[in-house]
Amino acid sequence: MLGFQPDDEQQLIRDTVAEFAREQLRPLAHEADESGVFPTSVAQQAWELGLVQGTIPEAYGGVGAESSAVTGSLICEELAWGDLSLALHILSPQLVTYPVIMLGTHEQKAQILSGYIGPHFTAGTAAVMEPRFGFDLNELTTTAAQHNGEFVLNGTKCFVPLAAEAAHLLVYARGDNGIAAFLLPQDTPELTIGEREKNMGLKAVATYELRLDNCRIPASSQLQGDIQPVFNRSRVALSAMAVGVARAAYEYAREYAKERRAFGTAIAQKQAIAFMLAEMAMEIDAARLLVWEAAWKIDTGADATREACLAKNYAATMVLKVTDNAVQILGGHGYIRDHPVERWLRNGRGFATFEGLAMI
Amino acid sequence: MKVLVTVKRVPDPETTIRVKSDGSGIETDNIKYVINPFDEIALEEALRIKEKLGAGEVVLVSIGDSVVTEQLRTGLAMGADRAILVGCDQDLDSLAVARILAKIVEDEGPQLVLMGKQAIDDDANQAGQMLAALLGWPQATFASEVVLSDDQQAVKVTREVDGGLETIGFALPGIITSDLRLNEPRYASLPGIMKARKKEIKEVAAADLDADMSPRLTINSLEPPTQKEAGKKVETVEELIGLLHDEAKVI
Repeated sequence: MLGFQPDDEQQLIRDTVAEFAREQLRPLAHEADESGVFPTSVAQQAWELGLVQGTIPEAYGGVGAESSAVTGSLICEELAWGDLSLALHILSPQLVTYPVIMLGTHEQKAQILSGYIGPHFTAGTAAVMEPRFGFDLNELTTTAAQHNGEFVLNGTKCFVPLAAEAAHLLVYARGDNGIAAFLLPQDTPELTIGEREKNMGLKAVATYELRLDNCRIPASSQLQGDIQPVFNRSRVALSAMAVGVARAAYEYAREYAKERRAFGTAIAQKQAIAFMLAEMAMEIDAARLLVWEAAWKIDTGADATREACLAKNYAATMVLKVTDNAVQILGGHGYIRDHPVERWLRNGRGFATFEGLAMI
Repeated sequence: MKVLVTVKRVPDPETTIRVKSDGSGIETDNIKYVINPFDEIALEEALRIKEKLGAGEVVLVSIGDSVVTEQLRTGLAMGADRAILVGCDQDLDSLAVARILAKIVEDEGPQLVLMGKQAIDDDANQAGQMLAALLGWPQATFASEVVLSDDQQAVKVTREVDGGLETIGFALPGIITSDLRLNEPRYASLPGIMKARKKEIKEVAAADLDADMSPRLTINSLEPPTQKEAGKKVETVEELIGLLHDEAKVI
């Protein structure tokens, strides 16, 4: 009944993405973080891996490859291991394509997905978070009121990645029947994209505040059906990324501890450090198992809300603990920006706030 | 144009290789295997030739037991059209490999065989040359640039030789072995991986090929390279020159 061995194709996908992350993302991560500038050529290189196009059904010009959440979590972990900022940028189109594949009508799929099968990287984005205390995914203050066969959107969103260059935005708002998602072209009137935000980490990802001021959109812009599976998928993807960031920090700290000598031995031989490393490894594996279970449940088609929330909460706490320990193991060096661990700590901190607090 | 590309399964250069304590081989537990990096470069060149011509076929061939399928699938995911797996569970030296490949070439009739200049496991650097000799075909080893003539009947190959570059040309069919700087291989893509599922891997038993596989080379033992000793610090240039002359005897 249980098995944790990826199948041959999943293994090949994971190996390929891991190689890409090691050879292309890692070497760019430091400079991108320091400058706050995303190296655009890597988005194109990643686009050619077909991670986005590959999941779009054949009927809409894609390859119709499986869109398994388990495979997705393998990809997310490896990309985030390379660099979280770059990974989020590279995968941003999926913030639009996945919900449309899952919930879109034929017309919506035909219209939106055709924008993401071309030869060039095309950004997409989702506006989920709102700038207020106690943000809760299920209690949005952005509203969508139905009026004369149209929707009128009002509210403010924050932490919207790539809003300035995304072809489409998926805006989550509270409608008459609960939370719903609405597809907006980037040039929608009464949609204002604010200044680029200044974040603690993820400095290479441009995020923006978004204002919707009596923003009128046709009724056909709404995605129909239960939105929870979309959130679950996103929770699992983010959790898998947290595992990737934590693994990067753990591996770096482990290698450092084997090299660094104090009092005649490598510090990895000291119990204080060895126990810390063992703890980090356990935490990472535990989080990954929660991620895989949630992903597996999504793939069965069952409601995975419980598992996805458990995975997200655990992973968000875990990544903070592990990256903080990594900084500690490097001692004074950990606090210096020449080593990547402080970046992983800053980036990892975000998981407790993305798409709602860790406890939600 | 049909291009045959050879693929060898080798330990990932990123993994740490440990020699077994009895010296009979390397520890194979927990080792990841990949396509020999030079073969990957050869495959990339074959794919570029096909893409440039807009037609043709890229056929992979590998020798080994069924696990080699992993590397063939990777090659198919990168874009090769089909693959041949020559089933064989005995260790082969370069000559036996060349003899098996010669049979496959006779059977497939490619215009070009692209191979890695050597495999990174035993670094023999012989199979390509031996295959050319067995077939009586022209060869260009250590290729850093390959230019196909307009009529597709000949190639011009730039080779990395001691002291510079050498450009040679020959009429096809022929054999080219790739050097490191020939190209940068692409990554397999997700759509490519999915398409690879449907591509054919034909299995042939080495024993049925009527190739002489008797070993001419035996490996007696392996040992890890000696640990590098810490360097010496010298005070003056004169002292350095003295040591290079008297102790290291290099000048």
